[in-house]
Amino acid sequence: MTAARPPILSVRGVARAFGGIRAVDDCSFDVQPRLITGLIGPNGAGKTTVFNLITGFLGADRGTIRLRDRELLGLPPHEVQRLGVVRTFQHLRLWSKMTVLENVLLGCSTPVGENVLSLFLRAPAARAEERRAREHAMEVLEFFGLVDRARELAEDLAYPEQKLLSMARIFATDAPVLLLDEPTSGLDAESLGRIVPMVRRLVEHGKTVLLIEHNMELISELSDEVVFLHQGRVLAAGPPAEITRDPALTEIYFGV
Amino acid sequence: MSAYLAHFLVMVGIYAILALSLNLLIGYSGIFSLAHAAIYGIGAYASALAALKLGLGFWGGMMVAASVGAFASALVAIPSLRVAGDYYVVASFGLQVVVLAVFMNWTDLTNGHAGLPGIPRPNLFGRVIDQPFEYVFLAAAFAVLTWAICRRLIQSAFGRVLQAIRDDEIAAQAMGKNVVLVKIVVACISSALGAMAGSLYAHYITYINPSSFSLHESIFIATLVILGGSERLAGPVVGAFVLLAIPELLKFLAIPDTVAAPMRQIIYGALLIVFMLVRPEGILGRARAAERSGR
Amino acid sequence: MDLFLQLAATGLVVGSLYALCALGWGLIYGTTLHFHVAHGAVFTLAAYFAYAGQKLLGLPLAVAVIGAILAAAACGMLIDLFIYQPLERRGALRTTLFIASLGLLTLIENLLAILFTPDPLRMDVGWLADAVQIGPVFLTRLHLVSVASATLGFLALMAFLRYSLSGRAIRAVASSPEMARTVGIDLRRVHLLTYAVGSAISAPAGILVAMDVGVEPYRGTTFVLLASVAVIMGGIGSIPGALLGALVLALLENLGVWKIPSEWQSSISFGVFLFFIVVRPRGFFGRKVQSAEI
Repeated sequence: MTAARPPILSVRGVARAFGGIRAVDDCSFDVQPRLITGLIGPNGAGKTTVFNLITGFLGADRGTIRLRDRELLGLPPHEVQRLGVVRTFQHLRLWSKMTVLENVLLGCSTPVGENVLSLFLRAPAARAEERRAREHAMEVLEFFGLVDRARELAEDLAYPEQKLLSMARIFATDAPVLLLDEPTSGLDAESLGRIVPMVRRLVEHGKTVLLIEHNMELISELSDEVVFLHQGRVLAAGPPAEITRDPALTEIYFGV
Repeated sequence: MSAYLAHFLVMVGIYAILALSLNLLIGYSGIFSLAHAAIYGIGAYASALAALKLGLGFWGGMMVAASVGAFASALVAIPSLRVAGDYYVVASFGLQVVVLAVFMNWTDLTNGHAGLPGIPRPNLFGRVIDQPFEYVFLAAAFAVLTWAICRRLIQSAFGRVLQAIRDDEIAAQAMGKNVVLVKIVVACISSALGAMAGSLYAHYITYINPSSFSLHESIFIATLVILGGSERLAGPVVGAFVLLAIPELLKFLAIPDTVAAPMRQIIYGALLIVFMLVRPEGILGRARAAERSGR
Repeated sequence: MDLFLQLAATGLVVGSLYALCALGWGLIYGTTLHFHVAHGAVFTLAAYFAYAGQKLLGLPLAVAVIGAILAAAACGMLIDLFIYQPLERRGALRTTLFIASLGLLTLIENLLAILFTPDPLRMDVGWLADAVQIGPVFLTRLHLVSVASATLGFLALMAFLRYSLSGRAIRAVASSPEMARTVGIDLRRVHLLTYAVGSAISAPAGILVAMDVGVEPYRGTTFVLLASVAVIMGGIGSIPGALLGALVLALLENLGVWKIPSEWQSSISFGVFLFFIVVRPRGFFGRKVQSAEI
């Protein structure tokens, strides 16, 4: 480990099987706070499964996943999010028929407006909250360079902008730990130039990022730490230079 | 105003409330319920019994109706919505069947098939609402109230969450929304409003019996919502108007009574199929995003 | 004790009819994920076809029955071909498809009610109506035929799904439509086949009930919704589960009458269903219900 701080996210001995297939098997790694950790490995290594396990979309057969000192396994996805871990999806899953602004608003905190009783009994407070939420949402859109698109439907955005939107909406939640599932997939070189700096800026804002990535160059450039997953197990973890230069790992990764 | 027209308008008002409330489930949450007639019936019976057996006034009866309706819905929603929407369809069917069985068989309470006669007319602030056109105002007032409540819900953060759930439920969960709880809340609100319509009905017709609250009725109310257009709030109201006009029009065609009832059902069934194939968004469909932000 | 055995026997007979309905509906739902309530209409149509065959065309009972089953299978396929497949091509939501199915059920039932009147119509069943005594239990031969039909139907369906090429294609699609498509299976044809088989296996239930108590236009609705309860109890995607669910449901309904006044019989199914989804949502043999398919 490069840092001596206690990890913010700690995965220990996690296993999950589907029928006879062990998607994740005795997986253990740490995520250090305020750093970018890259989760890499060949296809089918279990990376998205790990995300699903952390965020409560899948149950584990064994092991523990702790956020600081809270156990995450067994919690439903919305609880995991409330505790501070939020994720994007490989297939984005934007609310396509809603506007860009609305997509981000759904990340903002609006407990009064979302509670039916307070909505009616505390109408002025609800209105004030909505105003504040809109301001915050616009700030987030500004940060991501999407302000001009605020009133457009999410489905009408270009793909790189949709990728930015999926990051924007989780950023709006103020959750400290962001899980990005292939944030650069399907992007050309120019678009990469928009996305990659944003990921760095997230960390500058104090966020912790765990990202799944296939592009080895990007991993070296972006990550502070790398975790190499293969057949559901962590084969190596350390600084990118160490991992990317290891011939044995490269062989596994490229299937040579 | 002729008594005939007044009656028609009162029923449009009551059905508008039923359609608007069911639309919260079907149109805005994507959950299909086959039990709305049962909820309507629960409201009618609860309110009628509150008046007949407990001597409660109009408002008291309506509150009892809304509470019992919401409770019945919660009983079914809580176990089934935890699992999946299809389970709710089956559970709602079950609720419809059981509630009707209660109306027909718990004769000590409900008088069974014979029904409950002699339900008092509403007494509002010392004035008994007796005239047909007075009732039109009352029904219209409640329809507007229901519409206002639905509108406030839809245009709030809560409504935004509802739409997100309908668009992509998994993304909603990942963003911290307790999807199951939201659906249960919507089901309860929908039922409270539907039961309120039942209360209005009971005190208007002054006699209720189980046959008004059957599965056929549930399907009819769903048809109103679907045809009128579930994406705009005005849709269910239009649906109520159009579908209540159809039987009246049929009367002019001098169709024998035995054939009239199934004939109406055939028209509703055919309309549903045609609309789903040709225009699933209904008569007034469109512009959900536009409506939501009040544009 | 005698009463208990009689009720159990009746439960078995009714369970057989529910089973035939559940097997067909469950096969269709498990493979296509369509909530095909119009299956109730196919169930009813089968009965009317048999009636029409015997009473209007003067065919011998056996011929009328076989013709009715084939006609019902055709109806099931036509519904998929002309309503569900076009809807799917338009990217319809599952609720949209359910609504169209509900509309179709309503339309067909009421059309039959107008054409044939809503009153039950009786068929000539001849010696099938003769009573048979097994120990202290009284049943008719028709009842025995019902139990036999369900048993045969179940075994035939299991064999078909296990050993025939078409059956395995259906199972592949049921397990994962995406994978099936990648290995070159034509989903549309498999759907049509599923509807044919599912309708054919439930048709006898409609015909048997009609032969017992008369042909009625509205019975299908109740049967299809009970079938869905049975399938959920048995576990979605499990054929033996659907059979077990149907039997358990029918036995509980009939034995329940022992202790619960008979007018509450219909409520038993509902109570059982609610109990099940609270305690074991996946049913007896179903796959674990995953809240997310990511």
